[in-house]
Parts: sequence; structure tokens; C-alpha cells
Amino acid sequence: MNLAYLDVRHRLGRFIGTSLGVALLFAVVLAMAGIYLGLVDDATILVRSVRTNLWVVQQGTRGPFADMSRLDPSIVARVAAMPSVKRARAFTYQVMQREHAGRSLRFALVGLDFPVDRGEALALTHGRPIVQPHGEIIADASLGLAIGDTLHVAREELRVVGLTKQLLASGGDGLIFATVADAQLLAEDTPSDSIRAERERRTERLRQTDLGRAQPALEALTGDPDFRAPALASSPIAAVLVDVEPARADAVMASLAQWPDTSVFTSAEQEQLLLDGVVDKPRKQLALFAVILVVTSSLLIGAVVYMMTLDKTHDIAVLKLMGASPWRLGGLVLQQALAIGVVGYGIAVAIGVQAFPHFPRRVVLTEDTVMGVFALVLTISTVASILGIVHALRVDPARALEG
Amino acid sequence: MDALRAEHLEKHYGQGDTLVRALQDVSLRVARGSVVALLGPSGAGKSTLVKALGLVSLPNAGRIWFGDQLVVDNGRLLASVQELRRAHLGFVFQRSNLVPFLTARQNVEIACEIGGTSNPKKRALELLDWLEVGHRASSMPDTLSGGEQQRVAIARALANHPKIVLADEPTAALDKVRGRAVMELFRKVAREQDAAVVVVTHDHRTLDIFDELHEMEDGRLSPTALATVAAH
Ligand SMILES: Nc1ncnc2c1ncn2[C@@H]1O[C@H](COP(=O)(O)OP(=O)(O)OP(=O)(O)O)[C@@H](O)[C@H]1O
Ligand SMILES: [Mg+2]
Repeated sequence: MNLAYLDVRHRLGRFIGTSLGVALLFAVVLAMAGIYLGLVDDATILVRSVRTNLWVVQQGTRGPFADMSRLDPSIVARVAAMPSVKRARAFTYQVMQREHAGRSLRFALVGLDFPVDRGEALALTHGRPIVQPHGEIIADASLGLAIGDTLHVAREELRVVGLTKQLLASGGDGLIFATVADAQLLAEDTPSDSIRAERERRTERLRQTDLGRAQPALEALTGDPDFRAPALASSPIAAVLVDVEPARADAVMASLAQWPDTSVFTSAEQEQLLLDGVVDKPRKQLALFAVILVVTSSLLIGAVVYMMTLDKTHDIAVLKLMGASPWRLGGLVLQQALAIGVVGYGIAVAIGVQAFPHFPRRVVLTEDTVMGVFALVLTISTVASILGIVHALRVDPARALEG
Repeated sequence: MDALRAEHLEKHYGQGDTLVRALQDVSLRVARGSVVALLGPSGAGKSTLVKALGLVSLPNAGRIWFGDQLVVDNGRLLASVQELRRAHLGFVFQRSNLVPFLTARQNVEIACEIGGTSNPKKRALELLDWLEVGHRASSMPDTLSGGEQQRVAIARALANHPKIVLADEPTAALDKVRGRAVMELFRKVAREQDAAVVVVTHDHRTLDIFDELHEMEDGRLSPTALATVAAH
């Protein structure tokens, strides 16, 4: 006969009430874990989806995401010429905000080195990779764009030819892939205020060059937004993606590290940099919340189970006079704590499955998370039952004889 | 043969000025199949004696035998108290003390289970039938009358064929008729289960049921003739 079950059934209301309360706490714990995993996944998905071995970036910087990296495009050819390098690609990255169809569109623009890289490596849900050197983009569905939509930027028309799903920048913005040439065009198309500022800066830079001093008339040209003076070329790339034979990766990395104008990272390091920079703080906050919630749910379960045990003091004394073993009495308390935990967690998982997909932030609920938190729940319940168990074992059987 | 024997029990509470000598050189023998009453004024030490005999609150000195097994020597327990309770003892309390979240049948069944009875459910139903409350087997305690509760409690005390049944004012909460019915059950228990039954009671109207009467006064026990008590 299971005393824990029979007692719970006798006071079903209290049990269900407690389980529901605990369920809400556990649901938030699950959400915290899920949001964290979502953050990690979102933050690193770009690095993972471009599929390369090494990232060459500007000397002393930490790459295009965690830092501002500017490289001269000629480096691509230098890297490609190295032994053991299968392929070297230019890469640009910039977060921008533009008007589209009457709403403000915030996205991260990635430049692909067309025609070497047409975005074939991306997991497209609709459409096709880029085939034209100009005017075609692949966009993430989260931006609300559809195949055939046209984006008007920098007097250019960019047509959506392919769609991805859940391909986000570390900040949570959807990604748009264009050819490096288009990406650079877009990057230079800045809103009017900054255009004026940029114009002044260009003029200033021009005056500092020999060319500017010799030809003051050139200053008029800097007013033209399409003007690109070769000596003033400011269309750098952010990084070079280097595909090497895995076995030779260390050797290539070692020789790249000798170069005075570049720094080099493996893909894994680049992922880690992203996590350090972008995910670190939210992770600490989420972890803190999770700890508070775990402590709160332990206290809640502990208090309720302790009260349930106090209520049963007399019955426990009677059971002791029947010769009930400490195992049976301790087990009674432990089983009730576990029951509250397990039922509460079951409800929490159900809440999660129903509610998380509607969250504005991506919440990743993996089987590992569900099992991991379940183990935590069992631990919490066990710890929470200690006070009740101690009380049950200390009950003096003589209390049964008192009226 | 004696089912229960106690010799020279001493029990005191507190010390110095507040010292209470609740048991003073108490000796008692109860034969199998007999039912004895403990009488005496309030504070005489009746409950203290029952607690000592039931190993709930051990005496400071003296010896106790269950059958021919010495279980307490000079106030020290010689075997596992859980084992002794399961194997020898049944308690009936002033209030029925049924576990409120178990049905009548389950209240008896849990005692059978703790005692290691092979078919606890069957045994529980048999006991309830024997005590004439079989028809209330699946009722919760709070829906039973006082007399029915006390019968269930007696059934529970008998779960493991105890050779010693201890009852402390089992009829205090019952009216005259029901109180007498319960007392008669104790006699039935003693006779048919071959158990030694010790009952603390204040109810002088039911004394004819008992085989022996023992009067307590200030922690001392003295055997009393039925006639003496009846004259009170
Ligand atoms: N736990 C205790 N601590 C101190 N003194 C106690 C304790 N239990 C009992 N006593 C004292 O021991 C004496 C005997 O008490 P006991 O309960 O055995 O009396 P009783 O004969 O059962 O009385 P009643 O008929 O009122 O139940 C009393 O003076 C009581 O105050
Ligand atoms: Mg008493």
C-alpha cells in the first residue's frame, strides 16, 4: 500500500495547487535554459553556416562580429596563393536598418565572394543560390521577405531569390546575403545626415593626400555619392574565409600568423569569440535567474512537504507504534516531494511545448535540456524533502497515546 | 503461561523539587487469554505504566518480559523496538487514532503490511468482519461512528496476532452502551486470540468484564478484589 499516494489523493486540492505553482517556476527555468540555447545557436549559426576552417581578419582585431575588422581585398588573392589552401573567399558583414515597404527593416548584411561562393552552403528553404553577380540576395524568412520581393537600396534593386529559416545574427536580426560587391554598395549607402558628414570627411581626407593638394578641383567630385577615387578606396572587406585541408589547417594557420597585417582564428575560436562577446552577459543573467528560481522552487516544495509532514505528526506516531520502519516513514515524505516535483515538471514541459513557440525570442527546447532539468528537479525534490524526513524520523511515538 | 511480566518498574519524571515518581516498584503479570483492568485516580501513573509496557517510554529501572523473552533489563531495551512492536504488541488509544487518509480496511491493512502478513488485505477484511464492522470496510474514518472507529482500531491492534494488547482509556470517548460493547470485544480478543489484554479505564460499570483488576495510586500498583472496586 502506498501511503504517499493515498495521502496525496486525500488532499488532492493542495497537491495540485502546489504542483501548479512549482510547474510555473519550472517552466520559467526551462524558458531560461531554452532562451540561452537559442542565444548560443543564433549567435553561432552564421559562423557555422558559412562552413570554413579559418578566418583571417584585420591585425589585432577579433573578427568581423566581435570587433570591427577591415582588410584590403587584395589579401584574398595572397591567401589563395598559399599552399594547402583549397579556397579563399572575401567576407563582409554589417548590421543595417533600412526602410522597406513602409516599415523599418533591421538586418545583418553578409557579403559572399561571388562567383566562388554563391550561398550554396546555406540551408535554403525556398528558391535558389545567387547566380547573378549583381542584384540578387538571399534573405532570412524572419525578415518577412518573400521570393521575388525587391529591396530598394542605394539606387540599386535587390531581388530576393532564396530564403533561409532561423538564420540570425548574434543580435537576433535576420541575415541577408548578397555578393560582396552589392554588400559594399549597400554599406556605403548611408542616410542623408551621415552622407553629408561622410562627404566632409572625404574632402578632408582628399586634402591630406598629395593628389588633393595638387588637384583642388577634385574636391567637387567628393560630393558625388557614386564617386570612388582609387586612392581613397574605402571598400575594404571584413575577413577572408580560408578553406584548407583539415590535416594542414595548423600549418596554414601558423604561416598566416606570421603576416604582419592580419590575425587568424579557427572557426571554433570565432564561434567562441561570438559567445564571449554576445552571450556572456545574458548567460550570466539567465543563470542568476535560474539559480533564484531553483532555490525558490526548493523552498516552496520544502515548505509544503514539511507542512504536509507536520499535519501527519500524529499519524506518523501511530505508524511508529505499529512498528513502521524509518525507511517507510522517510520514504513517505520523499515520495510526496518527488511527486510534487515530477507532476509539476510534467506540467511545466507541457506549458513549454505549448507556449515557447509563441515567444518573441527563440527558445530551443532540446531533449537534453528536458532530461537535464528533470534530473535537477529530482535533486531539488530530494533536497526539499530533507526537513520533512528529519521531522518524521524524530516524531515521538508516545504522541500517539496522547489524546 | 504469562504473556507479559514486569518486575520492579521505576519511572520518574523531572528532578529535584519537580521530581515525580510516576512508577514505584511496580510488578505485574498478565496471563494469556486474560483481560485485566488498570484503575486509579488521575495522575496515578496508569498511562505511564502502559507506555512502559508498550516500550514507548522505557522505565528507569526494572525488567519486562514478553512471553519468556526478556526485553527490558534495568530500563534498557534488549532488542529492536520495531521488531518487538511488530511481533508482540497491539495498541488501542483513547481516541481511535485512525489514519484519516486511509479507509477502515486500509487502516488495518497497513498494520498487517508493516507486520509482514502474507495477505494483508484478506487479513484486514477478516478482522473487520470478526469485529462486525466489515460492512464499513471502504469508509473513511471521519464517516464512521465513535464505536465503529474504535472497532476498526481494535482490528488494527490485532493485525499481527499480538500476544499483548494495550489499551489506554479506549471507551472514554464513547457512550455507555458503545463503551460496554467495546469492553466486551476486549474480552473476546483475549479469549479467542489468546492474547493478554491490559485496559486502562475509569468506567466502573464495566468492571465485570475483567479477569483481574489492578488499582494504581501514586505510582504504586495493588491487586484489587472485584468486590472492593464494585463497592466504590
Ligand atoms: N512527560 C511527563 N513529564 C513529566 N511528568 C509526567 C509526564 N508524563 C506523566 N507525568 C506525571 O506522571 C504522573 C503520572 O501520569 P500518568 O499520565 O501516568 O497518569 P494517569 O494515571 O494516566 O492519569 P489520567 O487518568 O489523568 O490519564 C503524573 O503526576 C503526571 O503529571
Ligand atoms: Mg492516562
